[in-house]
Amino acid sequence: MAGKMIEQERYTCAIGALQSVVAIPKALPILHSGPGCGMMVRGFFERSTGYAGGSTSPCTNFSESEVVFGGIDKLRKIITNSYKILNSDLQVILTGCTAGIVGDDIDSLANEFREIGRPIVTVETAGFKNNNFVAHGDVVNAIIDQYTNKFIDENPVRSEKRTVNLFASIPYQDQFWKGNLRTYKHLLEQLGFKVHILFGPESAGVTEWQQIPRANFNVLVSPWYGQSIVEHLKNIYGQPFFKFPHIPIGANETEKFLYTLLSFAEENDTPLDYKKAKLFIKHESAAYYEELDNLATFLLEFRYGLPNYVHIIHDAGYVVGLAKFLLHETGIVPKEQFIVDNTPEKFQQDIRTDLKGISTKKNVPLLFEPDAGKVQNIIRDITYDGRGLLIGSGWDKELSKEKHFDFLSASVPSPYRLVLCTGYAGFHGGLRVMEDIFNTVLASYR
Amino acid sequence: MQKKINLDISEVQPREQRLGTIIAWDGDIKELHRQSNFSGRAAGCGSGDGCRLCELQGPFSQGSVCSEQMVECQAGNVRDAVLIQHSPIGCGAGQVPYNSIYRNGLSMRGHKVENIRIINTNLTEEDMVFGASDKLRSAIDAAWLRYKPKAIFIATSCATGIIGEDIESIAREKQEELGVPVIPMACEGFRSKHWSTGFDATQHGILRQIVRKNPHKQEDLVNVINLWGSDVFTPMLANLNLKVNYVIDLASVDDLARMSEAAATVGFCYTLSSYLATALEQHFGVPEVKAPMPYGFSGTDAWLRELARVTHREELAEKYIASEHSRVRPRIKKLKEKLRGVKGYVATGSAYSHGLIQVLRELNVEVNGSLVFHHDPVYDSGDDREDSLGHLLKNYGNVENFHVSNRQQYQLYAFSQKVHPDFMLIRHNGLAPLASRLGIPAAPLGDEHIAIGYQGIINLGETILDILARKKFHNSIKTHVKLPYTDWWLKQKDAYILAR
Repeated sequence: MAGKMIEQERYTCAIGALQSVVAIPKALPILHSGPGCGMMVRGFFERSTGYAGGSTSPCTNFSESEVVFGGIDKLRKIITNSYKILNSDLQVILTGCTAGIVGDDIDSLANEFREIGRPIVTVETAGFKNNNFVAHGDVVNAIIDQYTNKFIDENPVRSEKRTVNLFASIPYQDQFWKGNLRTYKHLLEQLGFKVHILFGPESAGVTEWQQIPRANFNVLVSPWYGQSIVEHLKNIYGQPFFKFPHIPIGANETEKFLYTLLSFAEENDTPLDYKKAKLFIKHESAAYYEELDNLATFLLEFRYGLPNYVHIIHDAGYVVGLAKFLLHETGIVPKEQFIVDNTPEKFQQDIRTDLKGISTKKNVPLLFEPDAGKVQNIIRDITYDGRGLLIGSGWDKELSKEKHFDFLSASVPSPYRLVLCTGYAGFHGGLRVMEDIFNTVLASYR
Repeated sequence: MQKKINLDISEVQPREQRLGTIIAWDGDIKELHRQSNFSGRAAGCGSGDGCRLCELQGPFSQGSVCSEQMVECQAGNVRDAVLIQHSPIGCGAGQVPYNSIYRNGLSMRGHKVENIRIINTNLTEEDMVFGASDKLRSAIDAAWLRYKPKAIFIATSCATGIIGEDIESIAREKQEELGVPVIPMACEGFRSKHWSTGFDATQHGILRQIVRKNPHKQEDLVNVINLWGSDVFTPMLANLNLKVNYVIDLASVDDLARMSEAAATVGFCYTLSSYLATALEQHFGVPEVKAPMPYGFSGTDAWLRELARVTHREELAEKYIASEHSRVRPRIKKLKEKLRGVKGYVATGSAYSHGLIQVLRELNVEVNGSLVFHHDPVYDSGDDREDSLGHLLKNYGNVENFHVSNRQQYQLYAFSQKVHPDFMLIRHNGLAPLASRLGIPAAPLGDEHIAIGYQGIINLGETILDILARKKFHNSIKTHVKLPYTDWWLKQKDAYILAR
């Protein structure tokens, strides 16, 4: 796929999947790349060094001599010494453009370490090969093939009927990943599942990765990124997957997510207490609607103007998830929507169809365009009556000012917002989105 | 005398080739100064051991930064220009921090705040095979269409460097077509072992294609080579009836063009200003102010006197120096009392660290350790009045634990265990989080001008008192966060043990 130029990028190149390693407790990324790659990734995601990522990742710091003679010897030394200096449960070597073009055979090198029992994985992440949405899948699949598979004897395939592996928010690329993953895990556990969440503080680290084969099936919450993982697991372990194609935000979509997941579980002989599970959903939903009622009071009694339409510039999962939520649960009408995640063509039709399902009466115009500079120019030329809301990344602050939009920063890069463990998924996530939007509005209240 | 800077070649000569730059060294300032042999090196060293500066080479390294990032934060921060990154999209990740720096810098200097204008050509595998000259052309066209810039910069990348894209001829072709400078800059990450070559690459391009060739001299204009710091030089130089032309960050293309009109060029850090200032003198006849950097009393005195000599304003300078001394002395005296017995550590770029240590010692702060990201044994002018390390040694004494370490966090641990500082001054990201995990408060020094001049001594003193107050916060981090380093490493006294 030939890429076009991009201004104001909202994702990065394949080596950005470094963050998927950073998100695994006690995993150590090793970069076989130029000296700036780790720092670039760190700068893009901000506060993203974690245990030993960003510029603190061991790195071969390619110089001219490695470009000419290859960098394998230098990499061997760095791996050897990283064991002396850094504690880790798993090492993942990621390659940059330099190593990619020079053609270093890192897999043979990794074998030298595997032979002496070191858990080590290699992934090709040259920047020109892919972006980090795609490379996230490559990293996960590489760990499954080169690490998880070694433990298959102790972890028989589909041996735990109530266990699922969950793949959803991409660590750091989704700035709400920690909160979202925690929410999914919590919700599914309340339904009776055991969940391998794999990333972040809720993960049990490498032992959880070793036990991936045990799961009865996989759950994918994503329109397209991560699909390569669940397809791969289906191929090698015969685990079917349940796919929910956007982020479930608020009650409508969260209920739909959980109920359809329960049906899927039932079809796959998952021994759950289904009655109890449904009661839990009802309980959560009731608590949610109590707050929605409060919101309605606020919306109806606020006299000084509220946003009545929204443009969203985000990845496909958020554009669809937020648009559905905003129309149905806050009354803000989605106008032109922009998906900037470089969605592969084969997924675009399904995403269009999913968004179309938002309403039988309304057609929401949708554009797939990774060049956000171009997207901004399009928005510049659109005008509607009323007060507009723009949900996007830090890049859009200036445009919002220009267009007198209320602005919610909800995508990377995120220089104007500190997100620690806030999540937007689920019942509570929906309430949080409301708070964030209307706090912005209230901040303009004199 | 140093060799003259060659502006006829299109690609800048890396720092290690021009200056003998090193990125790993262990010892004290006295020894580093001796080995650097500033004047001898400038004279050409001759043969034998005259110019030997041994660099440690270890079998382990963490990531660093690359030249391309320095180009982003310089060429990318020129107000009415556009920077094109001819690279895969990952190199564009740096736009995020540099946009933040740009916007806050604009605000600090009173310019209209706007987003950085960088376009990335988003190179893919196909481009690696077939080349991407048309992509570069269309990115230049888009830059023109979207912004009508006064100049277009093009940054190379590791990817274009290895496949050998002919960027120069496309730049020439587009420059003719558009009628504005289109400037290629060779800044591949692998090209130089130290990222400060990226400063030189930007400056080289500007010198070749933007600086006005037949200038009308302005006898009261001074080029100040800096980054995005707050405006401390305008009020300072106003006392000498001089006007400031800030370059390169936050300058307009015209500000860059008129550098040749100035009566003098000054800097606040020779790491940054060496190449541009020297070339302006050699090729455009703008005298470079060759003096210690303006830190602490002795540095600032000497810097002002030399600037005054070059611009013929000696009397004004003496008056200003005297009045400033009497203004700041009482406050500094109080700060000195408060800071007595406090131990500081400096981890910054090379020449900048020399300046900060001077200020800390003016404040009675004990400094027995510092790490610099690289070391230039000499600067481009070769004039020993610029020997910043020598100035520090002569006027403020030795620093016993002086380390050259290119942002290697694992080494900082061992350094800090040796000197046990109460606080750290850290510029550039990546190191401060470790300090925090060790329970040591650190100041990030986002505004690089904070410590400059007489007022800078006060500013820095107050900043230190401020950060010392946060000790408890850092202690709770220390108690609860686990370091990734092994017990074996944490016990090492010698940060370079693997390199011996």
